[in-house]
Amino acid sequence: MPQPTLLQSLVIALIQVILVVILIFVIVPLTIFAERKVLGHLQQRLGSTRIAGTLTGLSGFLNRWMWRMGKVPVLSYWRGLPGLAGDVLKMILKEDVRPAKADRFVFFIAPALSFVAAVVVFGAISFAPGTLFTLPAWVPLVGGLPVAGAIADINVGLLWILGFASVGVYGILLAGWASNSKYPLLGGLRSAAQIVSYEVPLTLSLLVPVLLSGSLSFGELSRRMAVETGYAAILPQMVGFLLYLTCGFAETNRTPFDMPEAENELVAGFHTEYSGMKFGFFYLAEYINMAVVSAIAAGFFLGGPWLLPFGLQGLWIPESVPFLGQPNVLFFLAKVVFLLFVYIWVRGTIPRYRYDQIMSVGWKYLIPLTLINLALAAGIRYFA
Amino acid sequence: MEAILSRSATYLFLLFGFIALGGAASMVFARNAVHSVIGFLVAMLAVAACYLTLQAEFLGVAQILVYAGGIVVLFLFVVMLVELTKFKEKRLFQIQTPWAVATVLVAVAAFGGVFWKTLFGPAAVEPLTLRPELAEGLKVAEQNAQALSRGLYADFLLPFEILSVILLVALVGAVVLAKTERV
Repeated sequence: MPQPTLLQSLVIALIQVILVVILIFVIVPLTIFAERKVLGHLQQRLGSTRIAGTLTGLSGFLNRWMWRMGKVPVLSYWRGLPGLAGDVLKMILKEDVRPAKADRFVFFIAPALSFVAAVVVFGAISFAPGTLFTLPAWVPLVGGLPVAGAIADINVGLLWILGFASVGVYGILLAGWASNSKYPLLGGLRSAAQIVSYEVPLTLSLLVPVLLSGSLSFGELSRRMAVETGYAAILPQMVGFLLYLTCGFAETNRTPFDMPEAENELVAGFHTEYSGMKFGFFYLAEYINMAVVSAIAAGFFLGGPWLLPFGLQGLWIPESVPFLGQPNVLFFLAKVVFLLFVYIWVRGTIPRYRYDQIMSVGWKYLIPLTLINLALAAGIRYFA
Repeated sequence: MEAILSRSATYLFLLFGFIALGGAASMVFARNAVHSVIGFLVAMLAVAACYLTLQAEFLGVAQILVYAGGIVVLFLFVVMLVELTKFKEKRLFQIQTPWAVATVLVAVAAFGGVFWKTLFGPAAVEPLTLRPELAEGLKVAEQNAQALSRGLYADFLLPFEILSVILLVALVGAVVLAKTERV
């Protein structure tokens, strides 16, 4: 195979970036829609149902028929989906209000910082090992060249991810300060304290897979975790997964840790003064961060593109099994979607913590637990 | 291919170097303290990008993780909570001018010496390590983290441990200072 030239590799990287952006802008609206519907059903209602597109098509007919039969139509599960287009239009067209005493420059860059820090993380995430697909020969310039399953599977990928996860706090903190209003400032400070605190157990819980696999690159780490760990390593992986997910919820400011925007205490927290598409970027960043946390959990603990989680793949399914034994990007995406569902599930189930409770959970319980788990993993690595 | 890559890396290095200088300048000259912190953040991220163009991936990413993600957040915290707009506190910062000039002169001398040596002196042929045999078989460009951990935990273990003790002392001191007010 000929070595691709610089221009060709740049074009391929561009294709990968576009694919990832498309993936983001497909997953995020669908998550928002799923959140409305799943939360609705968790609370014994239907969620958004009003905007359903045409009532003349087959689904409209089936829906009306089921209502007439006195049943809640199964097809109402996707009613309300066209409303998302309305949401997007509303955000883009809405008047962009800026408080008179706000700091103009900082007020402007805060949502951008939030958004960029969330998207950049995808650069180091490996969706599938090796080649994702080969471009067909008729494509000009880059025909016949392979497109890898990761934009840049660098050998310090985990640190890249953690680094930009911690840069994301600026958006919230600066938004709170720049609004020049007390509730956003309180929300921003709370969130900064919360995110900085929970970064410690988050990093410590991610050290377990690093220790067990001995690699820092996303692709290599998820491969070794999926197929090369033994039975002894299952327990620390499971505990680590639960701890990581807890910290991930706190990092993304989701319920039960949604302190920065606790609406009955702080109006809307750090984005109280934001409207229009500036608010839209915060909204997008929150959901992209959820996808990032899910992708990391899927890659490091749930076996990534391999089928079974916690290293069971290497123990139970040999590589010779045709479909299930091979890594597949669909398995990875399925795990991400499942974890996004867990996010919504938890939001519908667990009430919000009080602020001091959040801090004591983070410092007094999660950090010692992650340290014990890390020691356990180190022992397993040493003896096994 | 290699030549193009190294040349574009040079251009990128220059680009990010100038961005870092711009960020640092805006940090010094900004009237608003929060704008200064944002300039500092830009400078830190640009320095990290410079490391990346030099193929020091670990160093670059650690720069983002530690400086951009940790230390600048603390700066921002302090600056947001302490209002520097009041006249008295401004005076407090202005009486330090002679000391500041002296510090800058010393820094210029030190950095100028380093630049002079790098540009006109003999090039460093030997890598800066006490036991080069430990680094054998290690591709530094591809295994940044491994190479750095060799350096920290094999070559320079004692200085590293002394540094961590100093940090621990600072940590304990901070706790003591914070606690005394409540007793």
